[in-house]
Formats: sequence, structure tokens, C-alpha cells
Amino acid sequence: MNKNVIQKIREYASIFVFGACLMAQSTVQAQEIDMLIKGGHVIDPKNNIDGIMDVAIKDGKIFRVASNIPANTSKKTVNATGLYVSPGFIDMHVHVFAGAEDPGYKGFEISNGFGSVAPDDFTFRSGVTTVVDAGSSGWRNFPEFKKQTIDHSQTRVLAFISIAGYGMVGTVHAQDTTDMNPVTTAFIMNEYPDIIVGIKAHHYQGHDFTPVDRAIAAGKKTNKPIIVDFGSSTPKLSIEELFMKHFRPGDIFTHTFSGNAATNLTPGGREPIVDVNNKVKPFIFEAQKQGRIFDVGHGGGAFVWATAINAFKQGFYPNTISTDLYRSSRNAGMKDMANVMSKFLNMGMSIQDVIVRSTWNPANVIQHTDLGHLSVGAEADVSVFNIREGKFGYLDARGTVLNGTKKLEAELTLRAGKVAWDLNGLSGTQWDAVSR
Amino acid sequence: MMRIKTTGISEFFQQQFIRLAQGIAAVLVLVLITATVQAQEIDILLKGGHVIDPKNNINSKMDVAIVGDKIFRIAADIPANTSKKTIDISGLYLTPGIIDMHAHVFHGADVNSISANSPGGLQADAFSFRAGVTTVVDAGSAGWRNFPLFKTQVIDRSQTRVLAFLNVVGRGMVTRYDQQDVTDMNPEMNAYMIKKLHPTILVGIKSAHYWGDFTSVDKAVESGKLANVPVIVDFGEHSPPNSIESLFMEHFRPGDIFTHTFSEHAISKTTGGRESIVDVKTRKVKPFVFAAQKRGIIFDVGHGAGAFNFNQAIPALKQGFMPNTISTDLYNLSMNAAMKDMTNVMSKFLAMGMGLQDVILRTTWNPAQVIKRPDLGHLTVGSEADIAVFNLKKGNFGYMDVGRTKISGTEKLEAELTLRAGRVVWDLNGISAPQWEMPAPNN
Repeated sequence: MNKNVIQKIREYASIFVFGACLMAQSTVQAQEIDMLIKGGHVIDPKNNIDGIMDVAIKDGKIFRVASNIPANTSKKTVNATGLYVSPGFIDMHVHVFAGAEDPGYKGFEISNGFGSVAPDDFTFRSGVTTVVDAGSSGWRNFPEFKKQTIDHSQTRVLAFISIAGYGMVGTVHAQDTTDMNPVTTAFIMNEYPDIIVGIKAHHYQGHDFTPVDRAIAAGKKTNKPIIVDFGSSTPKLSIEELFMKHFRPGDIFTHTFSGNAATNLTPGGREPIVDVNNKVKPFIFEAQKQGRIFDVGHGGGAFVWATAINAFKQGFYPNTISTDLYRSSRNAGMKDMANVMSKFLNMGMSIQDVIVRSTWNPANVIQHTDLGHLSVGAEADVSVFNIREGKFGYLDARGTVLNGTKKLEAELTLRAGKVAWDLNGLSGTQWDAVSR
Repeated sequence: MMRIKTTGISEFFQQQFIRLAQGIAAVLVLVLITATVQAQEIDILLKGGHVIDPKNNINSKMDVAIVGDKIFRIAADIPANTSKKTIDISGLYLTPGIIDMHAHVFHGADVNSISANSPGGLQADAFSFRAGVTTVVDAGSAGWRNFPLFKTQVIDRSQTRVLAFLNVVGRGMVTRYDQQDVTDMNPEMNAYMIKKLHPTILVGIKSAHYWGDFTSVDKAVESGKLANVPVIVDFGEHSPPNSIESLFMEHFRPGDIFTHTFSEHAISKTTGGRESIVDVKTRKVKPFVFAAQKRGIIFDVGHGAGAFNFNQAIPALKQGFMPNTISTDLYNLSMNAAMKDMTNVMSKFLAMGMGLQDVILRTTWNPAQVIKRPDLGHLTVGSEADIAVFNLKKGNFGYMDVGRTKISGTEKLEAELTLRAGRVVWDLNGISAPQWEMPAPNN
């Protein structure tokens, strides 16, 4: 045989092999995405994305966000046309230290008790992938909280710990200033720096700022924010003094839209952010400008339409939207995160503004900038939701209603790339398509 | 000294007239007072809804009146002014509070336990009212040894009515291994706990997750005979599977319950499998299944995380086999999967073609009879006012099974309003509440 011919065959062969290699590579590429969420309206405030985009997930991480990623490059494709796609919601105020301990007196039973709810019960079905427990445990029982609940939850559970050593057992325990130790609190926080995001002060009836100041002392040692449930003292303590003289920038006031009335949990009544003429107090705007964080923390008794709507009309918006999920709020006006977010939609807040307050804003507030966005490489916590149109009603903590036309409904929730909730079987296959 | 008064004729008539007038006035006042009392006698009036109460053969537009914690009256057009509070439920369905006959609610902190005192058991109030459920029956999470703990820790602290099947195993559902311990299956103790100690809470006996022969079932039936209650059996972990024909025809009594009816449970190396009611080759319901149901064997859905397959349920329904009771098998692994909650499971049966009345029957009066609690599951005057009000949404919906296959449907039940013993315990859209008002400025 002619040497040239052999040479040519060799050349062709190598071209063939090269081609085969290319094809093999493209086949690999065809399988490289684990799940593709296609055609949804992506809202990712951190990355300034607000439009129709495809979201590709691989190995539990965000792999790519772009328009028109081909479906044949993914093992599985979910059609999200007509739906919204956002980072998994962060609910910054919940109580999930569920257990069976009885304080022996009528208390919150939130610390290792029945007053808390189990984290996975209410999260994924309302688009939430991260919850932050708001002080259910203190430094004495946080390790138990972690072993018993956090380590066994599919939901990402982070926590503020209470400045009170045993957390939120009941009102009596919340008065024990001898068990509010910034040194031991900071020690436990440093043991679990990835989980504990700050310190909570709460339900104190003394006419002074002791728990707040102790919490701030622990916050200074750890460089973390505090969150305060204020308003249990009679006569009321000044929230202006709280914001301007005690808080640092980044510290958080929760239950922002509560009314003036005294409740079991706030016997003194919490000073509202609006005055008797329905005007937002001027120092509130100033406090927010100076970096004080206003969190919703709806709860069973801390969200009143009159306060919220007045504030809203005057241009005052909360920094973060959260539920204060616990026994007494879950079946009342609060219900779940999707319901609370829907309330803000129906007050006139845009979906983009609602999403930023339930994703990237809380992520910043709790200093977890790894969360609350869809940047490539981020853990694939994704919420796919629809906004139902119809006639809906929304209850506040006073048992009064705001009518609305929109309702946010969680369709599909992914936690670290895994389907954790699928309301209508978006990720399923038709039953008779499966051969048996 | 007594003064004797003499009266003339005219004076006499005058006095009589005054007495008569006084009498008439008194009667009038009495009538008025009665009418005023009547105007206030109803506490809550649910007005304009379509009532489905299978026990009482009601399936039409009716008003439902509640006084205190009881059903006071059901009739067309009860006037709103006879009630302190009226809730307009036009366009909605009203049914007896739903009974979920298979749930796991022995919530606790033992992370090494499956369902007993464990996070695997859910908090009863977390999933009930928002799905129209007012009564749940725990399916064997506790045995006689830990039922007292279950009662004080959960049952006594729940707003939901919690009843229970007692596990045939004394320690209840702790681990798979505990379920095999025949030495801890004690009919005497089980019957004592049910009949003597807690007859109003314990409704039967559960046998589950057994790997051997019929011992677990037979011990349960023996307990059931002593206590005069039914048994409920999760028959899923035998390798090779035990005969369900033998279970239904030789071991069960009429009234005994087979749960996980529509599972197609493949045999796994670790846990064995469950024989299905529909033949996996021909897709025909096995003839003895019809015979068993005729014999009085109860077929319960018990959806769960691994026990509901469309390729069982759809052929069965098409061939005229209907489950007696629809239930969730609610626990930590089913709550966020295909099961979700009671309304989702009920809606699945609507999507498969079952009528709404048939679905309501299987979630109210049927389970009440199965657990021998005829005081529940209906709206008879005088019964406790446990009520569900549903919205039947229209649209495009999808329903999944445990194999992640799906069917589509055009209807979905949504719990609008739930009352437990006459109290509103769930109100999705605030239909029982007034509109908010701007407070008057106060300077």
C-alpha cells in the first residue's frame, strides 16, 4: 500500500478520533446539568436579575443562570413558565426548638417545648429554605437544640440565642438578670460561629435596658447583631432611646408593626412606631437611616393593619419580612411565610421589594452573604412560586381583615438542589407514562 | 288592724280592667323578652353554604347554627338576626370536621425513635385545622407502656381531638426491631389500657412493620377481642410477602382495617414487601379483595410516604373498588412529599373521579363508624360543633404519588374555615372577621 495512502488514513483516523472525542465531550455536556428550571421569571435582587431566565443546577449548587439554556443539556427539566423563581426565602424570625419540656407554669414553652414548631413543617411549603430561630435557646441549652433539632432538619436552621441562659422558657425566666451573661453567651456563639448569628433580648418587664445592654455586650464580643422583642415593661420604655442610645447599626427591632395594646407577652404594651395621629414618628426614619434594622416578626400578636398601612403610606418599609412562627401564630393571622409576604403584596409592595426583604436583606442582616441569592456556585436553595389572582382576605393580630387580590403560593422548593416541596408535581412524570 | 275596703260595681270593673291590662302588659313584656333572647340565642350562624352531611343525608344549601360548642340547628334560611355572629359562606362547602384516621402525632424529642415521642411524629395542631381536620387518630405510635406519656405530653395539650390506636407492641413505634419483639405483645395489658383506663381515647390496636408470620396480627386481634375494638394493620414488611387473602379471610374479623390499601410495595432486601390488591401483571383487582370488603373488612388509604401508587388506585377505582376511609398517614417523611395534607389526599380522589359526597363520606361518617365513635363525623343537632368549610378551587392542578408519577386534575379542596367545638380555629381569608379600620386621630 502506498505510504501516502496510509498517511492519509492515519490523518483521517486521527480526525475521526478527534471528532469522536468531541462528540463524547458534548454527550458529557448534554448530561452535565442535574436540573434545569426553565422559562420562569427570575428575581434575584443581589444580582440585579429581574426577568425570564433559566436556572441550571449541578451537584446541589447553582451552575448557571442565563436565558435559553438548552433542555438537552440537563438530566431533568422543570417547566416554570408563568412562575417566579427566586432564591429560597429566609425567614429571619421563627421558633423551632420543638420539644416536650413543661416549664411548670404558664409560659411560652418555646425553649425545647410545645410552643415551638418543628422546622420542616412550615418551611418548604411556603418557599422557605432557611429559618433563623429567634432566641428559643440560650447558651445553656443551645447544644441540645443543635443535637435535637438543627442536625435533623432538612431546612437550614440558624439561630439567635437568647441572652437568658435557658432561652425562652417563660416570662419568669425572662426576668432573671443574673442568668444573662455576655461572657458565656459569647463563648457558645464562638463555638458555633456558622449557626449562631446573633443574640436576642426579649420579654423583660423591668424598667431598664439590662437585657438589651447585656445582649449588646455579647454582640460586641462576637461582632454580631442583636434582635430585640421590646415592650414588656410598665410604664413603657422609649423606643427612641432603644434605637438611638443603645442599638448599634445593624441591630434589629422586631415586631415593627405591632399596635399599642398590652398583651400577655407584652404586659406594658409596646410603643408603636406611629403616633396617635397615625404619623410615623420622625426618629423612626432617622433610626433606619442610621442602620437600625426593622423586622416584621408577625407572630400571634405583633402585626396590626392600622400600624402597617399607616407606615406604608408614609413611605416607611421594613428591612426584613419574617413570620415569628410559633404555636400561637401558625393557625391565626400569620399562618406561614407565603401568607405574610402576600400581605405586603396586597398593601402595594412590589414583588421585587417583597423578595429582597425575604432573601438578600435578611442574609445581610444575619451576616450570611453566602445565602439569599442565585450566584453561580451558591448552594441551590430555590423557591419557585406563583402569584394567584382572586379575592383573598388577610387577618392581622387584632382579628381584622384587609382584602386583597393576590396570593403567593409555593410551587416548587429546592434545598441544596433537592426537591423539598412540589405542590402540583412540576418535577413528576405522568403516571401512565411509566411502563411497568 | 286590717282595713276592710268596700268597692262599688264600677270600681270592681275598673280594677278588673286594670288587672287585665297589667296581665296583657306582662305577657307582652315576656314575649318581647323571649324574642330578644331568641335574637341572641345562636352564637355563630354559618349562612349560605352547601352542606354535605352524609350521615344525615344532607347535600344541599343549608344554614348551620351553633350555640356554645354544639350544633343547634340546620335548616334553610335561618335569619341572621337570630345570631350574635353570622359568617357568609355562600359558594363554599360545609361538612362535618374531617376525621383523619391514620396519622402520627406522638411528637417528642427522642431523635432515635421512628414515631413514639419523636420528631418523626408531628404536632397535631400543625396540620389539622388548616386542612379541615378536627379529629386525628394516631395509628399506633404509642404502646401500652408509653401511652400515658403520649396522653399527658400531646393529647391533653392539643386543640385537635386526638384519638389513638394502641400499638400491639408495648413500647410502640420506637425502632423497626422493637416491632419484631413478640414478647412485648401483651393482649391483656393492651385490653386493660383500652377498656379500663382510656376507653374514650383508644379506639383500636395497630399491628405494623412485622417481618415474621401472623403473630403480630393475631396478638392484635386477640387484644381487639378482649377490648371489643378493631385492629388496623400495616402489612408491609414480609419477605416474601405474606398472603393478604389469608389476612382478610382467616385472621381479620369484620371491622378490622387494612391500611396502605393502594401501595405497590416492592420487596426490599431490608424490609420485605406488601402484596398489592391490584395484580401487578393484569392490573385487575384481585377477586378476594371485593369479597373481603363485602365481608366487612375495612380498606383505609393511609397514603404516607411510601404507600400510595396511581397504578394501584386508578385501576381499582375504575373497576369499582372504593376505599372505605381516606386518611393521610401523616408523619415527617410524608408531610412534604406527595401526601402533603388531608385536603391534598382528598383532592387526589376527586381528580381520580370520585364524587365530592363520596370523598366527604370517607373522611367523616365512615371513619367515625370504623372507630366506633358514632358521636363524631356528622352535624346532628346536639353533636359537638366540629365543622369544616371548604372552597373547591377550579384550575389546573397536579397530584403526585409516592413513585413521583402524577395525574392532573381540575379541582382542589382548600380549607377556608375550621371550627372545633364551636370555636374558629382556622380562617384562611378572614371570612369570620371584620374589616380593618383606620383609627381616629387622637390629639
